[in-house]
Amino acid sequence: MSDITLSVQGLRKVIGKRTIIKDLSFELKRGEVFGFLGPNGAGKTTTIRMLVGLIKPTSGTIHICGLDIAKHFTKAMRHLGCIVENPELYPFLTGMDNLRHFAVMISGITQARIDEVVRLVGMQDRMNDKVSTYSLGMRQRLGIAQALLGKPDVLILDEPTNGLDPSGIREMRAFIRFLAEEEGLTVLVSSHLLHEIQLMCDRVAIISKGEIIRVDSVQQLLSSEERLVWRLEPIEQGKAILRELASIVNETEDTVTTPYIEHEVGEWNRRLVEGGVSVLEMNRKLPALEDLFLELTGGESID
Amino acid sequence: MHSKRVRFITVFALLTCLLWLFGLGWTLKDYMLGTPSSAPLSSAEEDQVDETGALKIVALGDSLTRGTGDIEGKGYVGYVSDRLKEAGKEISLINLGIKGLTAPLLAEQMKEKEIGRQLGQADIILMTIGGNDLFLGGQTLSDVSEASITSLEDAYLLQLQTILDGVRAVNTEATVYLLGLYNPFVEFENGELLSGVVRGWNFKASELLAKDAKTVYVPTYDLFQQNVNDFLFTDHFHPNEKGYALMAERVAALIAGAGEGGQR
Amino acid sequence: MINLVQNEMTKLVGKRRFVVIAVIIVVLLSMFTYAQAKEAESIRERLGTVDWRTELQQQIVDMQNRLSSSGQWREQIQIQIKQSQYYLDNDVNPSEPGAPTFIRGFVQNSAELFLPLLVMIIAVDIVSSERSMGTIKLLLTRPVSRFKILLSKYIALILSVSVVIFLFGSLSYIVSAVMFGNQGWAAPVLTGFSSQGGELDISGVRLVSQWQYIIQQFGLAWFISVVVGTLSFMLSILMRSSAAGMGTMLACLISGAILSNMVSSWESAKYLFMVNLGLMDYVSGSAPPIEGMTLGFSLSVLAVWMLGSLLVSFTVFMRKDIY
Repeated sequence: MSDITLSVQGLRKVIGKRTIIKDLSFELKRGEVFGFLGPNGAGKTTTIRMLVGLIKPTSGTIHICGLDIAKHFTKAMRHLGCIVENPELYPFLTGMDNLRHFAVMISGITQARIDEVVRLVGMQDRMNDKVSTYSLGMRQRLGIAQALLGKPDVLILDEPTNGLDPSGIREMRAFIRFLAEEEGLTVLVSSHLLHEIQLMCDRVAIISKGEIIRVDSVQQLLSSEERLVWRLEPIEQGKAILRELASIVNETEDTVTTPYIEHEVGEWNRRLVEGGVSVLEMNRKLPALEDLFLELTGGESID
Repeated sequence: MHSKRVRFITVFALLTCLLWLFGLGWTLKDYMLGTPSSAPLSSAEEDQVDETGALKIVALGDSLTRGTGDIEGKGYVGYVSDRLKEAGKEISLINLGIKGLTAPLLAEQMKEKEIGRQLGQADIILMTIGGNDLFLGGQTLSDVSEASITSLEDAYLLQLQTILDGVRAVNTEATVYLLGLYNPFVEFENGELLSGVVRGWNFKASELLAKDAKTVYVPTYDLFQQNVNDFLFTDHFHPNEKGYALMAERVAALIAGAGEGGQR
Repeated sequence: MINLVQNEMTKLVGKRRFVVIAVIIVVLLSMFTYAQAKEAESIRERLGTVDWRTELQQQIVDMQNRLSSSGQWREQIQIQIKQSQYYLDNDVNPSEPGAPTFIRGFVQNSAELFLPLLVMIIAVDIVSSERSMGTIKLLLTRPVSRFKILLSKYIALILSVSVVIFLFGSLSYIVSAVMFGNQGWAAPVLTGFSSQGGELDISGVRLVSQWQYIIQQFGLAWFISVVVGTLSFMLSILMRSSAAGMGTMLACLISGAILSNMVSSWESAKYLFMVNLGLMDYVSGSAPPIEGMTLGFSLSVLAVWMLGSLLVSFTVFMRKDIY
């Protein structure tokens, strides 16, 4: 089997006259955590619903483990586990009844497998209580247990940390990393929180107004946007020299910011010193995704 | 995988489902294919006599027997029964009065098997008939000609005889009380003239009844002779509750008297 | 498939739907049996006898008296009079006292409104509740086709309808047996009356045992409930909220009850499903709401409506985008 577990080609969705999703294409590999990042209303949820078969795309194809979901829906879904938005389960049934309910819908799931996923999410103690008595975090965990029942190759989680407390968020993050690294799952996570994605994902797709603006590894994205902040004395003279050498990104009263270009920084430094400017401080700065996003989308706000 | 309870309910539901399907199929078979009447109806237990020792009253006749005009809907029949009950008698009452009934229609009604059975069991038979034959719903008021009245009268008396014969055919013991007519139109234009007609009508009817010792003619003409509007319903034809009470008083007294004095 | 159906049953049991329905039935039943007992008592008091013939004769005369003042009901009453007269003439008691007679009357009166209402409690949110709870997203992302999921829901609905009818029957038996006694299962019932042009046709009249008649009645009640259930099921798919579905269905049922009494001159109304719900009237022999309607006709109309709404249900459900 190839390494590509989820492949999306030319996905489009038109509702009425509005094109909600415009020509999305991306591929996910085994064992990676892929972030789906964009502001609310950018089309993340619509895209995810198309991936799991809740919404039919206007055009484009979705393959899960090589199976087209439009043609082989049930076979493709066999490889997929998901939580779309909140983990909504039947509140009037017990946790165990909920899991059994979903287990019988997948062929070959035994009670042993149910117990296994319950242990995996650490819910052994509460399985015989009604879901209506669960906290949100417990529901989230039960939701994940449900998604993992069929030993999926691809796990799709829509806003998995939504509504969790800080320790819950940390746990969830660790768990997702665990699933990808130890169990070899492909995990697709959507979020409108850049910070989340930054901490959790290997690769990220930035989506805005129904279009993917950029797909790259988190490292790559960050490094390409690295900055260098200079504190110089005297500042005016230093600014003048740097302007000739590089494009200035930002200036304040006592600092200058330039892009970080590794093989040229030494040269710039030498020229400054030669020009009689003393370099008090050179500060290499990794940008937050916030800045990045603002830059990429031309100032569209995130929330 | 599922709990035993749910499995049980599901299986059980399936069984009930089959049962109802069977019921539906059976209905379809019976009604769509139209199985014709298999066996003629067996008339089982014949003439089981009313075992209660109550005084059985059967009321026959027209709207007066029904009680039209009485706000309580009892009519004279109801009040008679009330009075007898007050006097400590146990009463079983069936009121077969039908609004608008004429003598020929009553004769027809009496041919019904069950009516015959009821009459057969009766101790007392109350009857009002003739009002519709004579007044024709008020039509007679505008046309009081000698000839037309006579023909109405003759037809009525013939039917009345048939009715009485019918009663006697099934019951020789019961006392029959026929309540006579009153003139509801006393205060109308032709009222006087009509009063004469009613008196004549009543006379002939009572003459006819006199042939049978157990048939009693109960006059009502005099009850409504004065202040007729005090005793009539707003339709100026049927008695109101006061009128009915007067009629009932008279009948109840007769019945009570008969009971005490034995045979008249 | 069996598993999927059991899933649906699990949810219905979990929601305590059957318990709610049983409670409603018991409450109403106790009211009706009490009213019936009172009624019987007052008739006895009025007539001073327990002879059913006297009682029936009195009823006939009472109906005859209503004839002159009842305009559009005339035909109905006339047929009823003739029918009662037929019972009387053939010495068959139409209301042998006891539980079976009560059940017979209760089903007859409940089949058009009360039973469908109970069925609606289940049917109307069998799909829309999944939607409002959000669980439909989990349900439809399983490796199971939407067709199978909807089919399992529909089968569960049919099964539930059967259970509801059974609950209805058994509970009314228990309550009425306590109130009126158990006798009368073998009592004869006349059936097969039909009416044409306001005339009672007695050519097809047969004598059946009461238990047999009751089973047939329940078969018809079941069919009516299944039809109403299927329509509610469709509304449950078409409408987002259970309340809207319930309201629409209720409006249909009630308008049906009203229409049945006044559409005799609106010929094409006989193709409306709600006018055809009075299946039992054909068996008991009262006049149909519109001239020329027969049991076969009504069954076919209902079946067509049922198939139509199933078709709509499945088409819509299989294509629908879930937001």
